[in-house]
Amino acid sequence: MINDTVVELSRWQFAATALYHFLFVPLTLGLTVFLAALETVYVVTGKPIYKEMTQFWAKLLLINFALGVATGLTMEFEFGTNWSFYSGFVGDIFGAPLAVEGLMAFFMESTMIGLMIFGWDRLSRGQHLIVTYLVALGSNLSALWILVANGFMQDPQGAVFNPVTMRMELESFTALIFSHDAQAKFVHTSIAGYVTAAIFVAGVSAFYLLRKRHMELAKRSFRMATIFGVLSTIGVITLGDALGFVGAHAQPAKIAAMEAMWKTEEAPAPFNLMAWPNQEKQENSWAIQIPYLLTPLLTHTMDTKIPGIAEIEASNALRIKSGIQAVEALKILSSNPSDAAAMAQFKAHEQDLGYGFLVKRYAPEQDVSKATDADIALAAKDTIPDVFAIYWTFRIMVGFAFLMLAFFIFGVIYSLRNDVENHPLFLRFSLWLIPVPFLACEMGWLTAELGRQPWTVYNLLPTWMSASSHSVSYMVFSLIGFVSLYSIFIIIEMYLMVRAIKQGPDDHHAVQKQDKNTSSGGSVLGGNYAPVHAKTLVNEQSKEV
Amino acid sequence: MKTIGYFLLFFVLAMIVIFLVIVMGEAAPWYFAWIIGTGLLILTSAAAGFLFDTQEEKSKGTPQ
Repeated sequence: MINDTVVELSRWQFAATALYHFLFVPLTLGLTVFLAALETVYVVTGKPIYKEMTQFWAKLLLINFALGVATGLTMEFEFGTNWSFYSGFVGDIFGAPLAVEGLMAFFMESTMIGLMIFGWDRLSRGQHLIVTYLVALGSNLSALWILVANGFMQDPQGAVFNPVTMRMELESFTALIFSHDAQAKFVHTSIAGYVTAAIFVAGVSAFYLLRKRHMELAKRSFRMATIFGVLSTIGVITLGDALGFVGAHAQPAKIAAMEAMWKTEEAPAPFNLMAWPNQEKQENSWAIQIPYLLTPLLTHTMDTKIPGIAEIEASNALRIKSGIQAVEALKILSSNPSDAAAMAQFKAHEQDLGYGFLVKRYAPEQDVSKATDADIALAAKDTIPDVFAIYWTFRIMVGFAFLMLAFFIFGVIYSLRNDVENHPLFLRFSLWLIPVPFLACEMGWLTAELGRQPWTVYNLLPTWMSASSHSVSYMVFSLIGFVSLYSIFIIIEMYLMVRAIKQGPDDHHAVQKQDKNTSSGGSVLGGNYAPVHAKTLVNEQSKEV
Repeated sequence: MKTIGYFLLFFVLAMIVIFLVIVMGEAAPWYFAWIIGTGLLILTSAAAGFLFDTQEEKSKGTPQ
């Protein structure tokens, strides 16, 4: 028997480690791309200030990267330790992108980040720029493979269940990586990282502008960050819409929960701008609605029907009955794989296999053939995720996105007028805004993952079946351990970041002096290109001059 | 010679982009949008840096 408390604790543990980890990830995703933009300006103009800017923001990136890696490593092991049935059931599919992530993207990212940090005196400007671009590519490719794996959990594509081996097998790698969910989710997440980096850079620059320190660095960084941020925020909102469109087809229960839509309404359905969902009564205690808006928002049409929660629950009850047939056939096939009648029965109900697994939890002795209508009704109710939590995490994420968009628009205007330092209130607001994109990312993940419940692999494998059979005390002990350790990591990150920011960029006058001797105003495109070689070589050249 | 070099470089880049459009446009529209979008984002942010310097130099009256 699977212990429900162990399953819940396993969920809490994974949620805690993933949410902690994702406090570090978005900044890495965005800052690497922002560094590529900064260094491009340095290489094209040859102005030392841009080298100083690149090195300063790279220092902050390195702090974040190191702690991000430390928190991320445990998660891959967690699949094996805490979710062993899941790992066995879909390991063929899920393992492939994770392996590619480790072997290709992460190794590339880690190698290149070392070259980027320590290669300033060893590589030419052009070579160093290529390395910085590869760091940006590597960090985002890393996210790509993780999100391909997550995309499979949200909308399983490219795999089939083999009733002989009793596990999922990879059928099409291209279907897996080109799944619409994986695509939209990757781009949405990656660009959310860009927004995070833009807010972070703008906030830290605002801190310097308020203190009248490192003004040259701060004003340039603020300008570039706000332009970077305004475009990224428009991108992240667009991709959020794309994800909603994909989700409306792949995960109707999640979409209904995100919109607190209890009953199917005539198209075009109204949009619940604000509501107070009551799961027990399956209604909203109150709601502020905008008529006709939901259908075009979700389906990009005016007449497509969007199923409400009650309709989804009723249709899932039918799928559970069909799934029971699949599980019963599977039981026969497990003892006799060549039973043609059982195989035919399985093939007829294969699409609903996951729903058969779902009702096992409620069936007497976990025997689906003994499941009553009441058990089926309970399992059908289970197919609806926590509407209140999903509705509000989604609303908070969207609210934050529009807040950041408004901030960036004002930031761009002030920066283009070159009078941002004359708006101290706005600069203070920039500083306070730093936690917002991190929270928005966390809210986004909560929406995505709570909305996937009660499945680990949507429509295929219920969460309650996926966990390992640990003891409760083991899970409590390891959960406390992870939360304590990761809290320490967060404190270390905050301490190192604040210290590095207060310290500011390294003495840039030395850098400027050195660069003036070799490459002041030089440009890789303008033909006056003087690569930054090793320090010893620079000194020799200085003597010659 | 340099012009021919640049021509060849941009020609190859154009070929890669056309190849990506053909291969990815159908099967992976969002991945393609990410590749193009991130490239444009980097260039636009870099342009914001150039613009800042130009404005600064103009306000100080120094030659660009």
